Amino acid sequence: MLTLNHFLVLGAILFCIGLYGAISKHNAIAVLMGIEIMLNAVNITMVGFSFFNQVKPFSTYLTGQIFAIFIITVAAAEAAVALAMIIAIYRKRDTVDVSEIDMMKY
Amino acid sequence: MALYQYSWLILFAPLCAFFVIVFGTRMWDIFSRPRAGAASVHGDASTAHASDAHGATGEGHGEGPVQDQEYDDDPTVPSLTMGARVSGYLAILIMGLACIYSWVIFANTLVTPIPANINPIFTYSWGVPGFDIAFHLDNLTVVMMVVVTTVSLLVQFYSQGYMGNSAGYARFFAYLSLFAFSMLVITFAQNFLVMFIGWELVGLSSYLLIGFWINKRAKPEELRPSPASAALQAMVTTRIGDVGFIIGIMILFASTGTFDFTQLASRVQGMDKAVLAIAMILVFCGAIGKSAQFPLHVWLPPAMEGPTPVSALIHAATMVAAGVYMVARTFPLFLAADPAAFAVVAWIGAFTALFAASIALAQSDFKRVLAYSTISQLGYMFVGLGVAGPTLGPGPGMFHLFTHAFFKALLFLGAGSVLYALHHATHKEVQDMRLMGGLGPKMPITAITWLIATLSISGFPFFAGFYSKDSIIELTLTEAHNWPLYIITLFTAGLTAFYMLRAFILAFGGKGGKVFGLWGGTYRGVGNPKESPWTMTVPLILLAIPSLLAGYWLNFYTYLSPKAPGINLADVFTSPFTLVGVIVAFIGLGWAYFLYGNVELAKLNAIVQGNAFLRTVHRILYHRYYIEEFYDLLIRYVVLGLSHLEQAFDAYVVDGIVNGIASLITTFGRDVRRVETGRVQAYMVAFFGGVAVLAVIVIALVTFVRG
Repeated sequence: MLTLNHFLVLGAILFCIGLYGAISKHNAIAVLMGIEIMLNAVNITMVGFSFFNQVKPFSTYLTGQIFAIFIITVAAAEAAVALAMIIAIYRKRDTVDVSEIDMMKY
Repeated sequence: MALYQYSWLILFAPLCAFFVIVFGTRMWDIFSRPRAGAASVHGDASTAHASDAHGATGEGHGEGPVQDQEYDDDPTVPSLTMGARVSGYLAILIMGLACIYSWVIFANTLVTPIPANINPIFTYSWGVPGFDIAFHLDNLTVVMMVVVTTVSLLVQFYSQGYMGNSAGYARFFAYLSLFAFSMLVITFAQNFLVMFIGWELVGLSSYLLIGFWINKRAKPEELRPSPASAALQAMVTTRIGDVGFIIGIMILFASTGTFDFTQLASRVQGMDKAVLAIAMILVFCGAIGKSAQFPLHVWLPPAMEGPTPVSALIHAATMVAAGVYMVARTFPLFLAADPAAFAVVAWIGAFTALFAASIALAQSDFKRVLAYSTISQLGYMFVGLGVAGPTLGPGPGMFHLFTHAFFKALLFLGAGSVLYALHHATHKEVQDMRLMGGLGPKMPITAITWLIATLSISGFPFFAGFYSKDSIIELTLTEAHNWPLYIITLFTAGLTAFYMLRAFILAFGGKGGKVFGLWGGTYRGVGNPKESPWTMTVPLILLAIPSLLAGYWLNFYTYLSPKAPGINLADVFTSPFTLVGVIVAFIGLGWAYFLYGNVELAKLNAIVQGNAFLRTVHRILYHRYYIEEFYDLLIRYVVLGLSHLEQAFDAYVVDGIVNGIASLITTFGRDVRRVETGRVQAYMVAFFGGVAVLAVIVIALVTFVRG
């Protein structure tokens, strides 16, 4: 029997994996992937809450699922923009190592 | 009706003249000047002296040989430019029209009183009720207006001769017009705000005019400052009084909620008498400064460094009259206050009268004698205002102001005529009476008119000053029943007669002259002085007439306050007070005549210098009781010492706090900026770390506080 807790724990585990990847990886694409995992962890949580809170009226509990769809859409756009930036940075600096991209420091 | 309604034209006419000269004729002159300025600014044959070239450069860098260090006057020009001439004529024309109009109004008020419903004659509202620029017209205004326009007109006319070859001719007339306007603002003011504006404008104009000869240097050996510093002194000294004035106005406004003189007069009845007295004494501080009364009298004698027509204007009609006029204008407020307020006015006046007259005894500078005599006569006016009481109103004080304006203007213009003649005869600036003498036959018009003014100020019977001054002296007993005041004013009258006749004999007469030494005698200077041109003698003659006759306006008191009785000539000549006053005046005159008309000046000096007591007294009086030296020490050590302390406080404590905070923040910022690594993952750690901490806090709060 699947309960809400399963969804939440899965979401939390995925979020932590994504966070670890985003923080620790040097490759910008790996960082991007970590971020995608974090977004999807949130999606799972959203859908889980939505599914286990089916109360009247209809539109109220659907919010979570619609929100998840929005996040997927935004994530797609974000991935496109981020990849474009990574390519641009690569062309300019010959690297995609985020620890070397620190032009904005003091 | 319409005649009165348009009287604000008199007020704005001089302002108009000022602007036309400053932006019109003067500009025209500047633009039409030939580019090579060197040719036009040099002394010509008639006025040239060797030293002229030094003063004539205008910028202060003498190209000519500096032969006479003393002569560094006003830059002179051989002939006036067209614009300068037009400026002078224009100022005189406008002032003449204003003068005629004010005399017409004055004549009309004698026939039909001013209707009450014409006031205010001119208003301009800022949009905030109670703070209007408002001018009004009543009998007091009319008296002052006539004096100001008449004296200004004559002074301007006279200046054509006196300033004839001055490079600043147009500027001078612009300033004179501004001065007349400023005084008229005070004259017409309906409320304290407008009066204060006029008050400060008068200060500004006198500053500009006293310091007119900006290139002139100080002459320490004659105790004479430079005009520039004299102007500054006038400005600063009167400003001390103005502080009191403005605080007094604020107290009045805080208590009654109005600046308007008419409303104040009715509303102050409900005020606490002691508070009102304090407010009025503070207001009177302004008058002490402007009218050069005792503690703040020091600016007036140095103000003699300005051109002589300016001195005449300041002393007769404008600057110093402002204080007296202000007290006359606020007379109902003083009456409503505790009697202490008027007692202060009267006592300051009486003390100043005696004090200044005693200094005048020993001055050798021709104009300084007149300066101290003005201070003394202003003291009389304040006594007159202080003792008059509710029935007579401001009448006695204003009457003396009225007569004094004419004879003091005459004295100054006469003195100017003498200085002008001596300047032309000796090519030097001579103001020392010890270098004059016997000028009577050489310049008869000046001498005779000066004698008339001298007798008038001395209280010689039938002259104008006799009526106004003796009535003030008499009032100290009949109204105030104050014997000390009576004795002081009476004694001062004797001194006045003495020092004025002394000045006359020193300048125009001397031992060996005709009419027992009053006319002629030996001239102690060099050269051969001649009578001044007609532009200068005509105003003297015109002023001599009111100096003789102004006292015969017998219902002056009634004119100002309807309840007051007029002067009755029969009473005047049968009163024992008059007899005493005349005797004292004659003693003063006789004494002066005995000393200066009969004895050689050198011999007299020898006597004074030979006697230890007389020498000390003369020294003290000659140095004006060392008041200026005392103020100098006071400012140099006390005021400057305090300001050094404050400067140290500012430099170490205030700046220390400010700079300390600044350096703290600089250090903090310099060290903390290292946090900004530019690496996106570091930010991410910080961000999620922060979220984690916040989450822990929130959970803890939800668990423990709510639970």
